[in-house]
Amino acid sequence: MFHDLDPRSPTPLYEQIAARVRVAIASGELTPGETLPSMRQLAQRLRVNPATVVQAYRDLANDGFVETRHGQGTFVKEVPGRVREEERRAHALSLVNRLLQDAARLGIGTDELVRAMETATGAEIRG
Amino acid sequence: MDKAIELTRLTWRAGKVFSLDEIGLNVPTGSIYGFLGPNGSGKTTTVRLLTGMIKPDSGSIRVLGMEVPGELPSILRRVGYVPERPHVYPAFTAREQLDYHASFFERWDGGWAGKLMTRLGLDPSRRLSRMSKGEIGKLLILLALAQRPDLLLLDEPTDGLDPVVRRDVMSAVLDCVSETGATVFISSHLVHELERICDWVGVMDNGRLLAELPMQQFKNGIKRIRVHGAPELADEAPFTLLSRDRTNGPASMETWIVRGWEEPMRDYFDRVGATLRDVIDLDLEESFVELLRSSRPTHAHEG
Repeated sequence: MFHDLDPRSPTPLYEQIAARVRVAIASGELTPGETLPSMRQLAQRLRVNPATVVQAYRDLANDGFVETRHGQGTFVKEVPGRVREEERRAHALSLVNRLLQDAARLGIGTDELVRAMETATGAEIRG
Repeated sequence: MDKAIELTRLTWRAGKVFSLDEIGLNVPTGSIYGFLGPNGSGKTTTVRLLTGMIKPDSGSIRVLGMEVPGELPSILRRVGYVPERPHVYPAFTAREQLDYHASFFERWDGGWAGKLMTRLGLDPSRRLSRMSKGEIGKLLILLALAQRPDLLLLDEPTDGLDPVVRRDVMSAVLDCVSETGATVFISSHLVHELERICDWVGVMDNGRLLAELPMQQFKNGIKRIRVHGAPELADEAPFTLLSRDRTNGPASMETWIVRGWEEPMRDYFDRVGATLRDVIDLDLEESFVELLRSSRPTHAHEG
């Protein structure tokens, strides 16, 4: 789930970690009631500052994606379908934004991108 | 006590060759602080001043809220220190070195030391003279961690170690921090290693502290931007222009390195009749290199 964390990115690591968990919950990779790794384990595994994981879990709890039960661990909550869908949409949009940014840097226009997308997927995007 | 280390106008001179000039440094309690700088920039000298091994010419030093040198004995009891060039007894076995070290520290955690020994793959019966550089490196970290310190001072802790050992060492440090909340002060010239773990950075060059900021602010504040029709003078700019380069890319396009960047500053380019074409993020290492480059005497800046 965390294999593509990018410490070089300007997006803080705690935001990246929280985003990975939200997407995993939205896509069903993590199911309600499932336990997340302890903050200590995760910090060690990802070799990040423990405060980074604490912040990520806190944000996830505030957003209603997980709950931390004292002394027991952090659990995935039941997230309404509407919220999950919204999360997937937000993630899709951020993927596209990243693509657009890279393309702009290379001087590739939106039309060319759309054509490339059609070639890659075999689907017609614009009628 | 909100600062684990507090240096005020600290000055130290070694003849005419090298000096530390009025270093002011603040390490927040509970932070992991990366002390960056090239070799010879004054990192180790600063650490030696902190631990009272050398005396400053002027300025004050507080560690864990106490004065150096006045309260050194109480300070050193609570500090786990891994020096750049450690002093060990080659004839000792790992176990003997452990017992020797333990006798100086009342908070010594023997159980944990034993666990770390296994986890780091060290053989207690092996003599230090027969250990590899990596094994010595792991043993020294173990000694510092098992003291259960409030402050870990690590001077180039992973320099010269292979990547596997580096990972083991850093993950043992992080585990300790999770459990005890200790403050960690790491000096290193291996910048990328600190990128994912530090929340504060201080940058040294040539005996001066060039910058001290939260990591995220440092990384996001320095950008490479591409400007079309750039003005001759950038005096009025809301950011600091570290360098500009016309040679790269098409005519009338310049590449600038700026410090203190924030998104709303895009407006500046409209005001001076230029076009901002691109804002490129730099990682910690690039930010570090650009900052050093712009501060070196060759760049019109005073030396």
